[in-house]
Amino acid sequence: MNAPADPVLDIRNLTKKFGAFTALDNLTLSLRRGQILGFIGPNGAGKTTTIKILVGAMRPTSGTATIAGADCVRDARRIKRLVGFMPDSFGAYDNMRVREYLDFFGAAFGIPRGARAKRIDEVLETTGSGWMQDRYVEALSHGMKQRIGVARTLLHDPEMLILDEPANGLDPQARIEMRDLLLKLAGLGKTLIVTSHILPELSRICDVVAIITQGKLRAFGTLDQIMRDLRQKRTFEVQLCGPAQVETAAAAVREALEPGEREGVKAHATESLVRFDTARSDTELAAILAALVGRRIDVSQFREIPKDLEDAFLSVTRREAPAA
Amino acid sequence: MIPVLSREFLGILRSPRALAALLAAAVAFSLLVLARWPAGGIVDLSGAGSRGAFLVFAAALLGGVLLLVPAFPASSIVRERNQGTLLLLFNSPISAVGIYAGKFLGVLAFAGLVLCTTLPAAAAVYAMGGVDPWQQIGLLYAVIVVMATLSIAIGLLVSTRATSPDAAVRVTYGLVFAVAFLTLAPHALTRGTTGLSATIAEWLRRLSPLPVVMHLVGQGGAVGGGLLEKDAGVWQFIVGGLGLAAVLAVATILQLDHRLFDRSRDAGTITDDQSLWVRIVRRLVFLVDPQRRKAGIPVFLNPIMVKEFRTRRFGRFHWLLRLAAGCAVVSLLMTLAATNGTMDWGVETIGGLLVILQIGLVVLLTPSLAAGLIASERERGGWPLLQSTTLSGWRIASGKLASVAWTMLLVLAATLPGYLVMTTIKPTMWNQVMLALVSVLLAVAMTLALSAAIGAFHSRTAAATVTVYVVLMILYLGPLIIWAFRGDPFGEQVVRGALSITPLGAALSVIGMPGFTQYELIPIAWRIAGTICVASLIVYALQVWRLLRPE
Ligand SMILES: Nc1ncnc2c1ncn2[C@@H]1O[C@H](COP(=O)(O)OP(=O)(O)O)[C@@H](O)[C@H]1O
Ligand SMILES: [Mg+2]
Repeated sequence: MNAPADPVLDIRNLTKKFGAFTALDNLTLSLRRGQILGFIGPNGAGKTTTIKILVGAMRPTSGTATIAGADCVRDARRIKRLVGFMPDSFGAYDNMRVREYLDFFGAAFGIPRGARAKRIDEVLETTGSGWMQDRYVEALSHGMKQRIGVARTLLHDPEMLILDEPANGLDPQARIEMRDLLLKLAGLGKTLIVTSHILPELSRICDVVAIITQGKLRAFGTLDQIMRDLRQKRTFEVQLCGPAQVETAAAAVREALEPGEREGVKAHATESLVRFDTARSDTELAAILAALVGRRIDVSQFREIPKDLEDAFLSVTRREAPAA
Repeated sequence: MIPVLSREFLGILRSPRALAALLAAAVAFSLLVLARWPAGGIVDLSGAGSRGAFLVFAAALLGGVLLLVPAFPASSIVRERNQGTLLLLFNSPISAVGIYAGKFLGVLAFAGLVLCTTLPAAAAVYAMGGVDPWQQIGLLYAVIVVMATLSIAIGLLVSTRATSPDAAVRVTYGLVFAVAFLTLAPHALTRGTTGLSATIAEWLRRLSPLPVVMHLVGQGGAVGGGLLEKDAGVWQFIVGGLGLAAVLAVATILQLDHRLFDRSRDAGTITDDQSLWVRIVRRLVFLVDPQRRKAGIPVFLNPIMVKEFRTRRFGRFHWLLRLAAGCAVVSLLMTLAATNGTMDWGVETIGGLLVILQIGLVVLLTPSLAAGLIASERERGGWPLLQSTTLSGWRIASGKLASVAWTMLLVLAATLPGYLVMTTIKPTMWNQVMLALVSVLLAVAMTLALSAAIGAFHSRTAAATVTVYVVLMILYLGPLIIWAFRGDPFGEQVVRGALSITPLGAALSVIGMPGFTQYELIPIAWRIAGTICVASLIVYALQVWRLLRPE
């Protein structure tokens, strides 16, 4: 994907090392105003590290990052005004009610008292959490805390919101609500960066997705683009009439495939089917089917399994994983 | 039980601080003996020198146990409960008794290990001669073990009731010190009288290890104005201490069940939404109702400071008002008692007690507020949030200090009426009172700065609180103990030097507290306190700056 004309976020060759360990390796990406970026990768991939650099809590070893023209290292103060940041931990204070909690952070951003009270009402309204304003923050459930966390990031009306794992640990219903909330925020004109270690969780609402593993950017673009890149390797199922011939069929498929693809062949006796992954063309697949039929195996169906997001994600992350 | 025990024991041993404590104990006790070893290898047959060594040894042993042991049981259960591992233990086949015994013995094993490092020192004391190995050294160890057992029992009980590790640590230290020192107070007041209150006071006194240890080192009656005199009742202490520990253990085990996890969350009831009657009653009870909806933080106030006031249970205004009222009443009663001659104490003694009351409040309250200023933010995840706001490091650092400073000043202000009555009775004391008050203010500044600085280097509030308390107890109690043994074995120079470390000695000497008048401490003690204060503030500011900087 080409760099957008007017990038609000511009990350260039960002690298972060902890001693000899490279947590972030030469990351380059950019984002247009008003877009939602899904920053996706397994645990330990370097998502939080990237975010901490963006909000000025960490120094990169090399490379640069700018948000709306402000450098994340040099213009720390401007970055704080531009960005609303929700870390992966909530940060509760004892004996503090939700309203007092928001009031404190509003005051910390220097919002005058009158405007602050109005602003708190607005962000509680936006996040649909007005009814919990008198609750104590430490007594909130996880889902409620996440909403208050988002409300807090909105207080100073930042241009960009950076949310670290906002849907982590939420139940399916709360996850849907969080997705709706994120869409609502994008509707307000905010640029959003949202991380997740689960691809399907958020990717559907994202304009662009960046997949990162072991500190390296593996895929970046719209969801469609990424899926197209990943679709090279397809999954097929051979449905048999009964369980008796499953092993023979699996052996025949293995014989027809390249050695590298042979372990991927799975025989499922209970379901009477054989499943395999391959990068072969359609004509080669026809030959496999012919070989099966030639051995008098009763094939009832030969079908391609449409890949879903999760498989795509796993195939990207596995492809680059070390052989350990 | 065994898995709980070994996990507890290894858990303690793996923490770097426990290891540091162990090493410090070993080194301190070796140095102690070396310093006291008769010069030229000539053994003093009268045994006077070795008795001095034994005295120092016993005091260090008792002090070590009082300072070191309570920290471990206090956080043990509440931390596991908050981390969720206690629930896992409950779902294992280990019974409540097993869990308790495992934790208890785990901490006791660590205490035993610390005591083992002191054995070479004990052997050296014995080798100097003049000390009986069983009647003195053996019984001393028995008393120390009983005190450790009692501390662990208190700590574990507090730990089952507490909601946070640092609160548990504070309460445990408070109770352990109450058992060690406060139990002596009623006896001191009722001395020479008979009757029920005197009998109760006599029984209470038996719970303190202090008279027993004094008796064992052969100093009974020599110090404390006869407070620690006559038959000290070594066995009564041992039996009483173990009995109390057993009672506490049963009370704790009875609480170790589902109720630990079955606490309802606060629904966040707010006074503004309640009926008019409730509102009126609450207004009268609280004056400043903690459950009233708060107005926003005014722009002219440092938001960090306001937040600190609002987030602590104890610092909320209704508590402060109660505490202040309590202080005012106590200080007035003390002064009135003196004027009415119900006790034949001079105005000076009353002044001294007022000073001790004030500095006691300072030493007890300040760390509980100041030690966790930075640590609690780091522990609870508030630090990255503060980092992401536009607040400057300077405002964060100063707002936090100010929240404690105002609290302490308010509490101290409440003790002023006592002085006022004093100066009306004896107007000539005006000058002395002023000098004493300056000393107390310096004590506040020094304690606050030191607590904040030490606490800022911890990422856990409980650990910060323990370290700060240990340092402050050594700083404030150490000189008083040395003073108590003035003449033998400590010379005038040593006592004077020790007293000048904190402003406490200076305050006591200017107010004319009997026993302190001969020390001229004012410029030097003030200078030392000022230096410690400034140095701590610099360290604190640097640490805040370092923590706010990007990694
Ligand atoms: N302060 C640190 N010191 C050393 N290693 C770190 C530090 N912070 C993160 N790491 C390592 O960097 C890698 C990326 O971490 P992180 O960015 O937190 O991953 P995630 O994608 O799950 O958020 C991990 O392997 C982690 O162990
Ligand atoms: Mg992370």
